[in-house]
Formats: sequence, structure tokens, C-alpha cells
Amino acid sequence: MPGLISYTINKNDFVLSHDRVIFWEQEKILILSDLHLGKSGHFRKSGIAIPPAVMKEDMQRLFAAIQFFKPELVVIVGDLFHSVENKEHEFFLKWRNDLNHVPILLVKGNHDIIPSAWYTTANIIVTEKCWRRNNFLFVHHIEDISKDEIKEGDYFFSGHIHPAVSIKGLGRQSLRFPCFYFTQQYAVLPAFGIFTGTYLVEPSKGEQAFAIVNNSVLPV
Amino acid sequence: MQLQNSPGYNIILNWLSQIGRKPFAFQQEAWEHIVNGQSGLVNAPTGCGKTYAVFLGAIIQFMNAHPTQYQSKKNSGLQLLWITPLRALAKDIARAMEEVIDELGMSWKVGIRNGDTAIKVREQQKKQMPEVLIITPESLHLLLAQKNYPDIFEAVKIIAVDEWHELMGSKRGVQTELAISRIVNVKYRKANEQCAIWGISATIGNLEEAKEVLLYSIKGIQNIGVPKAPLLQERGWGEVIVTANLHKKTEILSIFPDEIEKYPWAGHLGIKLIDKILPIINNSKTTLIFINTRGMTEMWYQALLTAAPDLAGAIALHHGSIEQELRFWVEENLHTGKLKAVVCTASLDLGVDFRPVETIIQVGSPKGVARFLQRAGRSGHSPDAVSKIYFLPTHSLELVEAAALKQAVEENFIESKVPLLLCFDVLIQYLCTLAVGEGFYPDQIYEEIKNTYCFSAITEAEYKGILLHITAGGKALNQYDEYKKVDILEDGLYKITSRRTAMRHRLHIGTIVSDAMLKVKFFSGGYIGVIEEWFISRLDPGDSFTIAGRNLELVMIKDMTVLVKKSTSKKSIIPSWMGGRMSLSSNLGKKLRQSLDQSQQQNNVPELKVLQPLFDLQNQLSHVPLQNELLIEHIETKDGFHLFVYPFEGRLVHEAMAAILAWRISKIMPITFSFAMNDYGFELLSDQPIPLDDSNVYELFSEENLFADIQKSVNSTEMAKRKFRDIAVIGGLIFQGMPGEKQKARHLQSSASLLFKVFAEYEPDNILLRQAYNEVFEQQMEEARLRDMLQRIQKSKIVITWPQQLTPFCFPLKVDSMRENVSSEQLEDRVKRMQQQLAKVI
Repeated sequence: MPGLISYTINKNDFVLSHDRVIFWEQEKILILSDLHLGKSGHFRKSGIAIPPAVMKEDMQRLFAAIQFFKPELVVIVGDLFHSVENKEHEFFLKWRNDLNHVPILLVKGNHDIIPSAWYTTANIIVTEKCWRRNNFLFVHHIEDISKDEIKEGDYFFSGHIHPAVSIKGLGRQSLRFPCFYFTQQYAVLPAFGIFTGTYLVEPSKGEQAFAIVNNSVLPV
Repeated sequence: MQLQNSPGYNIILNWLSQIGRKPFAFQQEAWEHIVNGQSGLVNAPTGCGKTYAVFLGAIIQFMNAHPTQYQSKKNSGLQLLWITPLRALAKDIARAMEEVIDELGMSWKVGIRNGDTAIKVREQQKKQMPEVLIITPESLHLLLAQKNYPDIFEAVKIIAVDEWHELMGSKRGVQTELAISRIVNVKYRKANEQCAIWGISATIGNLEEAKEVLLYSIKGIQNIGVPKAPLLQERGWGEVIVTANLHKKTEILSIFPDEIEKYPWAGHLGIKLIDKILPIINNSKTTLIFINTRGMTEMWYQALLTAAPDLAGAIALHHGSIEQELRFWVEENLHTGKLKAVVCTASLDLGVDFRPVETIIQVGSPKGVARFLQRAGRSGHSPDAVSKIYFLPTHSLELVEAAALKQAVEENFIESKVPLLLCFDVLIQYLCTLAVGEGFYPDQIYEEIKNTYCFSAITEAEYKGILLHITAGGKALNQYDEYKKVDILEDGLYKITSRRTAMRHRLHIGTIVSDAMLKVKFFSGGYIGVIEEWFISRLDPGDSFTIAGRNLELVMIKDMTVLVKKSTSKKSIIPSWMGGRMSLSSNLGKKLRQSLDQSQQQNNVPELKVLQPLFDLQNQLSHVPLQNELLIEHIETKDGFHLFVYPFEGRLVHEAMAAILAWRISKIMPITFSFAMNDYGFELLSDQPIPLDDSNVYELFSEENLFADIQKSVNSTEMAKRKFRDIAVIGGLIFQGMPGEKQKARHLQSSASLLFKVFAEYEPDNILLRQAYNEVFEQQMEEARLRDMLQRIQKSKIVITWPQQLTPFCFPLKVDSMRENVSSEQLEDRVKRMQQQLAKVI
């Protein structure tokens, strides 16, 4: 698969994909964030005609990513669903049925407001605030973690802000792309869902961002 | 019926002579047509009795129908529907009408219906409509969203549209057309009778067309066989234009800098000339100072207070973001002559006359002849007084515009308003409005909208597409879809049955789309005004900014309200409001090219003579283009390679032309441009030399393949994205939310750019998306004007120069930086190269 780039954190290797997912090679964990599934359905139910293909496309991309990386676990750092239940959630259930062998773990985000029984039906393990594997922690919003909770050597994966970078060139050109954003202590994943907005981040020294440009991942 | 012999006419004539007045010829002419049931357009400037031309006509008509009971007859139902674009005008018009009714001893009532109308009054109106209802297009659509609305219009005789020149050419104009089409048909079905339509318009270049657009629905109803009144059969249906031949004199004076050499070549503000306007303010009873943007009015207001502290209390500020009460206060004090000067934006372009206003100062380009005249007309209000307007240039070259304006005014060379066609967003909103109220049958409404000017060319397929959009949310139905908006009931009636959807729709009726606005309040209490969300979101607590002439410090943002306290900081940020970026009109552009030409001949035009040193320098470095020439300059600076082109066709046409030229050049070799434009010309900037010279220049400006090239220039996507915002709001895809309710609607909010992206990818044939592109071609790029320009250029001499330094002409362009990109490189390659370049610089 083209559009892959490898990034090392504390001797662990992470593959960044243009499909807006990260694959943790040592642990075989696929990490993604902010799918906002059901958002188009939520809009349509209220009389706003978003193209219904949006949701399908998101599911297909996730399916393809799982087929490609063959992860032993999928970790979603929040905002799996956009809002209260609607019929698109049924579509997700059907999708989940076809892929039942892969465990999915959700670290709850602010949009995840559907009743917990639903996750049981969908065979999704839910964690409230934070999930840990070795020295890596998974949270929805990095600002939910207070400074004194951070231990030496810990590294966080988070979502929530839907990061994007602006790339500038001569002649005052400027373009904006969704990105992976790495600081010394945490990483922020781009929103996986297509129907989501972005927030501009400006990486400072010692930080690294990877822009998703069409089918490539480019360091900036 | 002969007007002279009619009872109503004689009553009115008597009454007028009692108060020592007599009707103008144009008023009598209008009355004659009105009593004969004809429709038409009254062309008269403000302050000349245009209201009476139609209103008294309606009164005479009523008197003729009820010659003995016209005074006692009560509750006659709505007779005259008066549509006005301005809420602020309604009160004054109502007052004037009520006075007349009173003096004539009639029992008519005058009602006002707009966003400010109290619920209690609305309820009363529901029970008994007044004989005259003064209403905005938005409120009229809200009436159509009511149950039983057809009853309201059963008795209506005349639909009058005030300031039609303002409405036509905008989506509010389309809204007006649609509402009229419905009312005319409802009236006909209810009463088997046709009502008349009368427009009132200032002079524009295409009055005949303005009339046709407004009266289009009448033709339609005639086709379905309404019996003609006997006299109309005699005269034919010929709708009429009644013109008031009252010519007002306008005196135009330029304000000159003392030393033109020292006056800046670029700028928008002109505050350097502030000392020149103080004597003008002092010598005139009241002066209005028109500034093009809200941000600049704030700066001018501050500067005036600093320059003339004795004016404190006698000058005021007026623009759209100022608290309503303060605006009313300013208007009231303008009436009573208590203010020496008011710094304002287009917010005071229209509206009632302020008698004490003697002088107007226009700061910077008015962008068009009509707007300049409209503003000049705000002074000297008695019919034979002279309107006096000063032109204050914000940079040297702008003085040429003053010369051009004088010429244009002398020749009465006034712009046309181009009516909009096929605005599907407005149609979608309208259909939902009808679905909220009584519901509608698609076939019947199809016939009606086909009989509006805007939708006369709609195809059945397009209409079906729109119906599908509102009932099924477009195509691609699947089992997981729960789209719900308009339901089709068993008998085929289209209706919105969900109460929540209906309520949300009612709150969103309208076509004026504003940025999300936040209220600004003092922390200690007290409302100041409103401000755009995007501006305030860039500030941190503790930052200072200026609004309504006050320096304020941001304390916090809470519940959609910006809480502030007084600031003592000397440095404060003035919001640069979006909007107000008008483009130079084609008429003014033409006159501008003529004036430049004139500057190169012997002439006695003071503005051109003053600018002589500037022209000399331009000639020395490059060239001053004559009427039949197009100037192109190649200049290299540390920013890269610049190409400056000067067609003088206005910012919008330049934006399109820049994109097309960039695209055409990029076909010669892979190259990326950014570009900038203003009203005089545009600039292409690249990191490589730009391959344009004598050998290929005519080809690059050719009309051939224009349409294809427009579509391919990347830029149309960007432009469409911007257009899409308004369309998405009007078409109901974006909720602006409502005050207090904001939080609840949160999960239904998305940005226009995100919607655009999603539609472009997953539903590229979406009707609203297509409309965005059409609007880009027709309005934004002004394709027709673009074509005219290219034809002109083909016949012109193209002069290419290679100046060693920046020229007076290119300077404003270089400094302004509204920029767009065009590229023929692969996106990935482009990003890599941009980064490499930057790395080199660092």
C-alpha cells in the first residue's frame, strides 16, 4: 500500500497511513480517532440532505485498513459515533458482524453519548477515560489529562481536535491538509471520518506533523 | 375610466388644494393607470412624492368603488400590499400614509409587518388585516408559511414594491418575485380577479427590463384567461413606465492633497486628508461622510475626534454592526439637525430623507455611478436644491475616478441591475415555506414559478430534482436512510408535518446570510453591538478592540455573548468586517479608461492636472494606457516574478481573468502562481519567470475556449466554495442557529467548506452545488463582461513594459493582498517544492 510512512517513538514503530490510521507494529494495534459515524444520518433525519454515501465510504475505508494491517486490536480514541442513535448505527452493526473476529476498544469521547448497552451489542469494549498498553496511553482529548497524572516515559495517543496543518510556500501560497501531529509527550490523530471539520495546528520546535495529501503522507 | 371625471380624483384634488399643494404630472399619470387597473413602474428619485404616486392611486381607486361610503367603510380587508426592502423605512411610510387617511376622514388602517412587529400586533392582523400592509420580502414569505394565508389576499388590489432597483438583482428580489407569483394566483383563484403590480424604482440603466421582471407573473395569469377590463382591451395589456422628469443638480468636488507627490500611492483610508474636511463640516449644517467598510468608519470616527475635539457630541457613527437603539438615536438626531456630521457606511445609503443634510463626503471609490448619485442625493432635499458631494481619494490614482464620475454623472451613464436567474436555493426555501403553511401541489406551483422571470427557463427535470431533494434528500435511497423534511400526503399534497422542522424552517426564512454574530455587552451590563464570531475568536481575554467608537477589553465569551470592559489600552485592534468589498462597475471602469486617456491629452480637468507628476513618473518607468490600449508590466522583486495587467474592469472580472491567464500560461509550462487583484488590475506572482511576451499575448487573452478554460482554472472551485456558503444557508443545509438555542443545534452544525467538500466528492451533480458554480460564472466572474473585455482587448494595442522598479500603477496591487492560487503541478509535488523553497530561504 502506498502512502505509508514510519515513525518511531520510544523504540516502538508506528506506521502512518494516508487513510488516517496509525498501525503500531510491535503490538499489532490499529489506532484511529473521531469517526463521527452516523453524522450524515443525523443530519438527514433533521432534513439536511448530506450525501448518504459518506458513511458507507468511511466504513469501506476502515474495512480496507483492517484487511491490510490485520491488527489484533483496533483502538478508537473517541467519537466513534456523532450523536444519538439512528439507522446508520444499524448499518454499522451489520458491518461489525462481518468483521467480528477483530476486537475493538473505544476510549469514550465527548460525542459518544449512546447508551452503553449498545456497545455490548456491537461487541465493542468501552473504556471511560484512558487505556494503557506498556508505556503508551490512549485518551480522547489530551487536555483531559492533568500534568500530575503523567509519568516519566509515558506517551499519549489522542484525538478530538481534528488537526490540520497549513503549508506555505513562496509567492504567498498556502494550502491546508489534515495531519498527524506529534509532540514530545503526545500524538493527535486526524479525524478518520470524511464529514468532519479541521482545526489548524502550528507545530513548534521539537514537534512533528505529517500532512495527508491525497494518497501520500508528507512530513512537514 | 377617465381619471378627471372620477369621484376619487376630485376628492384628492380638493384635499391637496386645501393644504396648498397640487399633484405632479407623473403622479396624475400613475393614478390614471391605476384606476384603470393597469400595472407598471414609477421611476422617480427619493423625496419627490413617489409614495403618493402609488398610494393615492390606491385611495382614488377605493373611493371610485365606494363613492358614498369611502369614509365610513371599515375592515375592507387588505387592499394595498406595500413591499419595502428596508425595515427602517416602514415606520415613516406608515406615518405619512396614516396622516393622509386621517385628513381624508377614512377608516383605513395601516399595518407594519417585519421582524420587529410584536406578537400581539401579528395576532390582531391575523384576525383583521389592515387595508395597507407594509412588509419586507422575508416577512411576506413568513405570511405564506401561515395556515389560511390565501384568505389574506382575497381583497388585495395592488401589490406595490418600493425601491425595486434595490431588490432586483438580489435573492431578495427573487423572493419578491416568488411571493408575487403566489399572491397573484391566490387572488385570482379566490376572487376571479386580477390584482395590479406597481414597482417604484430610482433610475437604472435597464428600467424596461426591471418592469418586465416585476410584472412577469401578470402575463402568466393572463395566459390562463383572466377576463380583461374593457378599457384594457382597448389599450392592450401594455404595462407602463411612469417617469418623473425631475432633474436634480449634483455638484461634485474633489478634495486634493497639498502635495500630490507626498500623497500615498496605495491605501484605503485617506485619513491624511482629515484637515481638509474639517472646514467642510464646519461650513455645512450637517454632513454625511460615507466610508466603504465598517472597520474604516471606526477609524475615521476616532481620527475626527482626535483632530477636532470640539466636535465631540456633535458627530456620530452609523453602521450595520451598531446597536439598533444607537442607530435610531443617530437617525433621530439627523432629523432634528443636532448632529454636525455622521460617519457611515452603506447603512445610510437608503431610507428616509434627513432634511438638515447639506453636504456629502465620499471617502474612497464609490465603485459605481448609481451608488455615487444615490449618496449625493442624500443632501439638498428640496426638489430644486443642489446635491453637493465631495470626493476624498484614499490614494493618488483614485483621483482619476473622481474625474470619471463627473463625466459619468454628466452623461447620466448609470449602471444596469442584472436580474438573477434560476436561484434554486431560494426556490427550495420557498417550496419548504409553502409546505410549512398550507402545503402545495407541485404541478400548480410549477405553473406559477414558470411564470416568474427568475424561473421561466426551469426545466421539468430540474424541478423534479428539487422536489426529490426536499422529499427524499436527493437520490441514493437505502434501507438505512431516514431523511425527513417534506412529506407527500395521500392526495399528493406536499407538506412539512414535523413541528420541529417547521419551526426551524420559519426561523431560517430569508436570503440575507450573515456571518455568525455575537452580542457585545459590558461585563457590568449594557449592550454595545454585535461582532463577527471569526473576529472575536482570534482574540484572547485581555486584548483590546474597537467597536461603535469605543475601546474595549475582552473579558470573556459566554453563551454567545462577548463580555467586555472599558479599555485604557492605546493599542486596539479594529475589526475588519468582511463584506463591503464591492467591485468597480463596468460603467465606471469605462469612464476611468477614458479619463486616463484624457490625462494624456491637453485637458482642463483639475483632478488630472493635479496628478500630472504621477503620470509623468508612470510614463518614465512604464506607460499610461490610452483608451484603446492594455498595459502589462513585467517586474522582478525579491518576492519573485510579477506580472501586472490593467484592464480597469473591477475586482471580480480581474479575479476571473487572473485565474484564466494563470491557467493558460501554466499550459505552456508547469508553473504555480499566486495572484492579487484590485479594481484597476491584477497581478500574477511566481517563483519562475512568466512566459508572456509579444509573441503569445493576444493568444493568451483570446476569447476562444473561454468557457472550457474557466472551468479548468482551479480557481472556480475556490470561488464556488465561497458562493456555496450562502447557498447552503438559504437552501437549508446550514443552521445558523438561534440565540440561546445554539447549544442544542450543535450536533447539526457543519461548515460550508466541509459540506462543499463532501458534496463535491459524493454528490457532484447536487443541484445546489451546481448552482454555486453557475453563480460563479454568471455573477462572480461576470462571464458576459469577461467576454466583452476580451473582445475589447483583442481590438486594443497591448503594451508590454519591463520596468526596473515598482510603478505608481502597480503599487496598490503589490500592497493589497487578496490572493488566490493556480497551479498545473501535482499537489504532492507542489507541497514538496514549496517546502524546499522555504528551506532555502531560511
